[in-house]
Amino acid sequence: MGITMNQLLPKSLEAIPGGPALLTSLDSLINWARSNSLWPLTFGTSCCAIEVMMAAGASHHDLARFGAEVARPSPRQADLLVVAGTIVKRMAPRLKVLYEQMAEPKYVIATGACAISGGPFIYESYATVRGVHEVIPVDVYVPGCPPRPEAFFYGLLALQRLIREGETIRKPGERKKPVLAALPPGITLEQIRSELIANLENKAVVNRYE
Amino acid sequence: MVTTTLSLSSVPISSLDKRIQSLENEQSSLGTQEYFVNMGPQHPSTHGVLRLVLHLDGETVKEVIPVLGYVHRGMEKKCEFIGYRQQVHLTDRLDYLCALMNNWAISHAIEKALNIELNERIQVVRTILAELQRIQSHQLWWGVFGMDLGAFTPFLYGFRDREKITAIFEDTIGARLTMNFIQPGGLMFDITSDFAQKVKEFIAYFKPILNEYDELFSGNIIVQERLRNVGILDAKTAISIGTTGPILRASGVAHDLRKLEPYGVYSQVQFDVPVGATGDCWDRYQVRMQEMRESIKIVEQLIDNIPEGKHMVMKFGAKIRVPEGVYYSEMETARGIYGNFIVADGSEKPYRLHMRTPNFNNLWSIIRMAPGLRIADLVTILSSIDIVVPDIDR
Repeated sequence: MGITMNQLLPKSLEAIPGGPALLTSLDSLINWARSNSLWPLTFGTSCCAIEVMMAAGASHHDLARFGAEVARPSPRQADLLVVAGTIVKRMAPRLKVLYEQMAEPKYVIATGACAISGGPFIYESYATVRGVHEVIPVDVYVPGCPPRPEAFFYGLLALQRLIREGETIRKPGERKKPVLAALPPGITLEQIRSELIANLENKAVVNRYE
Repeated sequence: MVTTTLSLSSVPISSLDKRIQSLENEQSSLGTQEYFVNMGPQHPSTHGVLRLVLHLDGETVKEVIPVLGYVHRGMEKKCEFIGYRQQVHLTDRLDYLCALMNNWAISHAIEKALNIELNERIQVVRTILAELQRIQSHQLWWGVFGMDLGAFTPFLYGFRDREKITAIFEDTIGARLTMNFIQPGGLMFDITSDFAQKVKEFIAYFKPILNEYDELFSGNIIVQERLRNVGILDAKTAISIGTTGPILRASGVAHDLRKLEPYGVYSQVQFDVPVGATGDCWDRYQVRMQEMRESIKIVEQLIDNIPEGKHMVMKFGAKIRVPEGVYYSEMETARGIYGNFIVADGSEKPYRLHMRTPNFNNLWSIIRMAPGLRIADLVTILSSIDIVVPDIDR
């Protein structure tokens, strides 16, 4: 293949024959596995916890259909933080600690009006944080007060799609991928992608989600 | 605290035993240590963001110190800015499992202040909805109680049946959890024509299910062993702390506002107030299970003849002016007495609104119940109190 990546990538990756095609396949495999085995942290502060964490996880709606039912009480074992409910100023530092304790890759879904913007407490409240994005980066927002379990599932599917595409809105264009994480400085993901597309356009490997 | 010592005199001494014996000689006893542990604010058993500082001796709880404020949203202060009309929807977010009862309580306070006489239809529909919500709340409690004791099956069963009531609410009201349906002067809109039919179907479905609950969970010997004589709260202490609802009734005090100061149409229906004997976790469990049966009884008496009438006797605009004065009204929610204390200055906003929420008082019973027990029992007690944290912090 006429790609110049052999000079750009670190030595450990040179041995892979054919280079780019295998790398993208590996990426998609890892992202597929990640997207279908999200382990949410049991973290509910108020009303949304009933709908989003409990009703969604229970028998009627059954979160297990999407592979995300293994709720873990410890942030070290979880990779999905569902902020379900109001975050007040006293809780915000604890939320940040929880987020930092989670191991990479980690994803955040903000559910409900309170977590998105402060909701009913956006005005005339001295205590609430106006949206969790002021504290931690958010991947997907699910509106509602509280959102139905189905709305949460839609948000979850959106997150799964974001994961499969290998990047999130948190770091647009530079989401760390497992193999591309070791790129030398000066090489952007965009550069590599444009090269890949230019080289593989005729081989129908790209745009597999459309 | 009883300290544990290793006694090795009867055992033949091996090389390992020698090492243990030397350790024993060094320390003279392998006792327990006193230390503090934070339970929460993020903990699966605290039902939200409650923080309990535990003073432990080994695994035995010596002292429990609840630390509050992790979901304090300044609701009472907010009510002073937004006026009587808008504060109804905020009560949904206090104790979100009793949203309709909270709506009713604050509407009742305003109706009392304005001397609004409601028609029979509104009263009957409100009573039916409140009792359905009481069943719904207890179903969720039952499921979560099982989960806290380590059994996941009750959680699935409880939510399976809870969804049926939620579906009725969604058809009638349009919301699943935060209803904002009962308004000052009546109901937000009229009930649907098939409401009675759906409720009857649900009751016919749920009556045998309650026996299934008993067979599945209540009769289990492990459950009984874990609940009996754990977390005893005697009547005197329960009253002095100010607990209300199932906790107070489990301690043997038959205090139920539906009987003592009947509101709605509770004076026209026949029902019993279940009361416990010793005030342990088992009594609190039984009181709630019986309350579900009593709620079914109430709904059955009312559902067949819902009187005709308007769904709103007084239609308010954007603002409600409450005459100057001090008003208090209280109601029995699924967790106890929810009261609203309004200081009105004649404008459309209250000068001060205090919410007397049941969970705040109920929580403090834990500092009397927990000492001397193990951490596992503490979780049982916390679950048997059935707290909702935003209701505590407001």
